[in-house]
Amino acid sequence: MSKAIQSANVSIKDVNLFYSDFQALKDINMEIPANQVTAFIGPSGCGKSTLLRCLNRMNDLIEGCKVEGTIKVGDVDIYREVEVNELRRSIGMVFQKPNPFPMSVYDNIAYGARIYGIRKRSELDEIVERTLKQSAMWEELKDRLRKSALGLSGGQQQRLCIARALAVDPKILLMDEPTSALDPISTGKIEELCAELKQTVTIVIVTHNMQQATRISDKTGFFLLGDLVEYGDTEQIFEAPRMPETERYITGRFG
Amino acid sequence: MTVVFGIAAAFSVVAVIVICIFLFVRGIPAMAKVGLFDFLFGVDWRPNNNDVFDQALEGMYGILPMIVGTLCATAGALLVGGTIGYLTAIFLAKFCPKKIKGILSQVVNLLAGIPSVIFGFFGMRVLSPFLGIFTSNGSGSGIFLVSIVLGIMILPTVVSLSKNAIEAVPDAYYEGARALGASHEQAVFKVVVPAGRSGVLASLILGVGRAMGETMAVVMVAGNSPVFPTGLFRSFCTLTATIVKEMGYAEDVHLSSLFAIGCVLLVFVLIVNLILHMVSREKKSNRNGRQGRLVPDWLRGFYAKIDRPLGKFKKGCCYGAAAFSTVALAGIVLFVMINGIPHITWDFLTNNYTYGSGPTIMPALAATGLLIVVSMVIAIPIGIATAIYLHEYTKRGNKLVKVIRSAIEVLSGVPSIVYGLFGMAFFCTFMNLGTSIISGSLTVTIMILPVIVRSTEEALIAVPDSYREGSYALGATKLRTVFKVVLPSALPGILAAVILAIGRVVSESAPLVYTMGASPRPAPSGLSSPGTSLAVLLYYYTGEGLYLDQAYATAAILMIIVLGLNLLSTFLVKKLQRRTTGA
Repeated sequence: MSKAIQSANVSIKDVNLFYSDFQALKDINMEIPANQVTAFIGPSGCGKSTLLRCLNRMNDLIEGCKVEGTIKVGDVDIYREVEVNELRRSIGMVFQKPNPFPMSVYDNIAYGARIYGIRKRSELDEIVERTLKQSAMWEELKDRLRKSALGLSGGQQQRLCIARALAVDPKILLMDEPTSALDPISTGKIEELCAELKQTVTIVIVTHNMQQATRISDKTGFFLLGDLVEYGDTEQIFEAPRMPETERYITGRFG
Repeated sequence: MTVVFGIAAAFSVVAVIVICIFLFVRGIPAMAKVGLFDFLFGVDWRPNNNDVFDQALEGMYGILPMIVGTLCATAGALLVGGTIGYLTAIFLAKFCPKKIKGILSQVVNLLAGIPSVIFGFFGMRVLSPFLGIFTSNGSGSGIFLVSIVLGIMILPTVVSLSKNAIEAVPDAYYEGARALGASHEQAVFKVVVPAGRSGVLASLILGVGRAMGETMAVVMVAGNSPVFPTGLFRSFCTLTATIVKEMGYAEDVHLSSLFAIGCVLLVFVLIVNLILHMVSREKKSNRNGRQGRLVPDWLRGFYAKIDRPLGKFKKGCCYGAAAFSTVALAGIVLFVMINGIPHITWDFLTNNYTYGSGPTIMPALAATGLLIVVSMVIAIPIGIATAIYLHEYTKRGNKLVKVIRSAIEVLSGVPSIVYGLFGMAFFCTFMNLGTSIISGSLTVTIMILPVIVRSTEEALIAVPDSYREGSYALGATKLRTVFKVVLPSALPGILAAVILAIGRVVSESAPLVYTMGASPRPAPSGLSSPGTSLAVLLYYYTGEGLYLDQAYATAAILMIIVLGLNLLSTFLVKKLQRRTTGA
């Protein structure tokens, strides 16, 4: 029953989402291309995080949440044709607040790999080193792999969470306002990281920060009250928005 | 796996049902014979052991005096222990200087494990003679003394649980209040404490349950005449004390009537639970409707004027209560240690008991050890699995969960002497295990289950959801998330729960007197031989009055064990916390 996820382009068709009686997403249709950074922007409560959490089915954990429509990654319908844990292996997620587990740096990164049955010390060592290098943390952390991850700074914790997500070789990385709890320098580091990572993974990022969207994303979707108002190349959205709501939002007139 | 956890969780429900069945089957005959009305509202308790079921009764079986006695004692204990405990908790959580907070909290946790027999012993040897100076009959026994002894006894429970509840209130509430210009006291009393109310209430439930169901401490200081408590210093009797006093020799109608008293106690506990449920539900709806309350302007001005001074006054009360708690509890510990330690000798600790030999506690130590091991081996897995089921595997509002939760609440409220009655009827007689270590252990297992479930669940609740999300987002299954991320994070809390439960086992005596044995005997040779636990032995020595020095020594050893357990738990918790929280 469970199909393997091969490619990383996402197509969202007629998606409606309800929290009990409240409709949080209305008829969303969008195509997210592989190996690019796609940003979701919009005011609080517009549904951007909700849509993001549909992509790896984290919404399943919320009681009373109902999703209609289809979401395909490659040619796999993620709500019908793939086992949920398998899906989450292919689609990693980074949260708003850094959430390293209360374990050592090493165990945090190895956690995902161990889920998929990798037990051999040498393999785990290799994964830890590779992902830490990938997330540009190897130099900082190589001498403290055995220390608790909770002793790291907020920015380091967040990059560790990115490394942790990368350790299982995801096709797509979902980022839910990953820098909103961080200082500007840490934010800058994570943005750089995004630019590098898109060579290997597709990134979908929710952000409140419009400058951030312009800096790092290729595509941008603007959400308002559960509707996808406008979606297109980032440059076009910010320089020549088609919809009046988009223009009012990006020029800071509401939100 | 859900099924496995579910089965463990169902265990509590089954236990409640079986307890009810066995108590009522044994108790109803007496109620029927005496007549329910005459039993509940009769004012004379003069049981006659020649009474058998197919003949006319010669004795009188009216328990109203004991019902009144129990209610008075509980109210007194709540007045003393509830109030002081609540205020002490606020002090510890919000007013205590950082430096002594750790030590004081530790002391309180330690004292939560003090066996109730020790409180009774202290009341009997120290407070009673002291109060006797002021009374006409020269004895301090009575409602007043019982209230104080029970009050001090429930203090640690109330303090430590209320403190946890208050500390669990998010700092943001406090900061929000301060940002609006509230003083520290106003923020604490108007925002933080009300926000922690449900946990404080839960601690009071436990306190009431303990006071109402307490047997040993009461039987030692109440005086035990089966009459109405007519004055603060008049001898009276409670339901629990009646059972433990008369169980040893009761037969037929008399025996059945003791089970009937057990049923009455059980019903009381159910009523207490029900009332508290209603109260807490009302509180919740109140909280939503509070803004709508109309206060006339002049009154509002008055409130505003006295609010700050009132806060200062309440703060003063907290300091006073904390001082009382510390002095009372530390006093008891010191008193027992000073009088007991000099009498601990090598022979006393190591000699086995032979008929006619002097007092020795080696057999009791062995019996207590076995009791702990057996009950923990059974209760820990079931308890933790139940907590996991309730918190990780079920959705809120699930009917089954509600049933399980109520069952656990009932179990935690069932008086320990009622467990004793049940254990005797079920394990000793029905399962044919006799008066033995295994019977006592199984009885105690059911008793400590709610302690483990509750505290484990608290620990699980304290694990941030972001850990779970992080794990799921990596594609981990629920089972892996629970075992690799949630349980390790909750481990310090669970360990504390287990230690708390061990303390309970060590200190319990009422459920063991008639299931495991109550007199000095040789060391147990196995699980099927009878054994007298340390706490029961202390009760025995105190009652005999012959071996007072040895009684002190036994009390001191009990205390040292509890202290040792506590230090061990602190050490473990600290170590684990260091491992999990940085640097």
